[in-house]
Amino acid sequence: MEIKKKNVGAMLVGEWNTKTIVAVAIGAALFGVLMCYGGIPIFTNTSLTTAMIIPVIVGALFGPLPAMVCCGVGNVIADLIGGWGLWFDWSVGNAVMAFCVGLLPVYGANIKEGIFTAKHAVIYAVCCILGNMVAFGVITPIFSALFYGSDLNLTFLQALAATLGNTLVLVVVGIPILLVLANRYKSRTNLKEDKGDQY
Amino acid sequence: MNNKLVINFVPGPTPVHKLAGSTKMLIFLLFTAAIIATFDIRVIAALMIVPIIAIISMRPNYKPLIVLLSVMLVTTGVIGSIMLLIVSPDTGFSHVGGSTIIWQASEKLFITRETLWYLLVTMTKRVASFLTVMMFALATTPSEFASGLAFLHMPYKVCTIVSLAYRTIPDIASKFIDIRNSMQMRGVELSKKASVGKRLKATGQLLIPLIMSSFGRVESIANAMDLRGYGRLKTRTWYAEHELTNLDKILRIAAIFFGAAILFYIVYFRIINPYPAEMWCPFIAKEDIIAKSQFEDIFFLKWFNK
Repeated sequence: MEIKKKNVGAMLVGEWNTKTIVAVAIGAALFGVLMCYGGIPIFTNTSLTTAMIIPVIVGALFGPLPAMVCCGVGNVIADLIGGWGLWFDWSVGNAVMAFCVGLLPVYGANIKEGIFTAKHAVIYAVCCILGNMVAFGVITPIFSALFYGSDLNLTFLQALAATLGNTLVLVVVGIPILLVLANRYKSRTNLKEDKGDQY
Repeated sequence: MNNKLVINFVPGPTPVHKLAGSTKMLIFLLFTAAIIATFDIRVIAALMIVPIIAIISMRPNYKPLIVLLSVMLVTTGVIGSIMLLIVSPDTGFSHVGGSTIIWQASEKLFITRETLWYLLVTMTKRVASFLTVMMFALATTPSEFASGLAFLHMPYKVCTIVSLAYRTIPDIASKFIDIRNSMQMRGVELSKKASVGKRLKATGQLLIPLIMSSFGRVESIANAMDLRGYGRLKTRTWYAEHELTNLDKILRIAAIFFGAAILFYIVYFRIINPYPAEMWCPFIAKEDIIAKSQFEDIFFLKWFNK
């Protein structure tokens, strides 16, 4: 069976049907709640947060743009219920980071069909590190200094802490979750090799 | 968890609660923009008046507000200030435009008057931002939030995402409590009797069923929405958007003037005729300010210059 290849643009945008919308909304709510109550603080304004699992799942199942919207909205919600004021700089940073994390389907790690190999895991880890560096090393400090007059040295240190913490969570927790998800979806497809002689 | 939340799900009785969602959104965004635009402590202090009046007029439950405010003051205020003093004690120089040492322990650890002023200004900015967010969060229900976003011409799918996410938070909280109770029924110790490490590990184990069951509901919610014809048409009307009250009309006219004032402030005081330093400070006369770029201070750029 030949699967028709989608072009990269369509993959980046993802399929925006009702299911995606609901999944992104629930992901955003979970992201917000976990951001507020599911973190271990490691530095000012940053923590080793379990919320980072959410963009991995949403990105794997629905693509990068849904993951991006999910984290952007999720961070705004975290700001609203956490009550530390609205920090657009971190929302934008998280959204960009989630976009990079959610690139999974673009390089062929199709979790919905159970495809996730060692090669994909390596690309995923590289994407996580690069995405975090771009998001928290470049975008967030710029907005932070421009909007809120934060001290650049402290912001860069925070960015470093956020990058390390997020990458740790994304790689150490994310890859096993992706494997589990891929296995779950694989067992639901009927494309099994016939092993009649084992009976 | 529920009593910790400040966000509002039920339409309230006071005039501020009864405003249309679009007006609330407009005022919230304008105040956020104004707080972002200015570094002048006099302007920020003036901007704090309206949120304080609005919050008092809503007669909220003050307990969670005070908890949140004190958590913010301790984490970002006290710890953040100490970190800043350790990392770059001379940051006031590039922001305020001067350096007057008032206490010195060693070459790399000292306190300048300007850095303290900088800390005061950023802290005021944080508190103002906090008050604005609280004003919005206390007044707005999820549907009003969505209708306010639709008023700003956001695509309605994004509006749905926001309102659905906002509305799901109590569900997630109750589901979390359910899962925790059932784990405790099976003998997982989550009370204070167990050690901190054990409790952390057990809480980590709670997350997987929480995430799985939350995402498991996606299908049924999506089907319910599809059955009610969601997403068939290009536009959407909002149940929460009602006719404008008198206060709405007054506030919208005020918002136009306020927006114009912000624009004028940015164009005139930040671009055409900027103050020589980023922040106004009473200790330093305008003529004495030494301009210094923030970028000269970044630690890793110094390594390259060596």
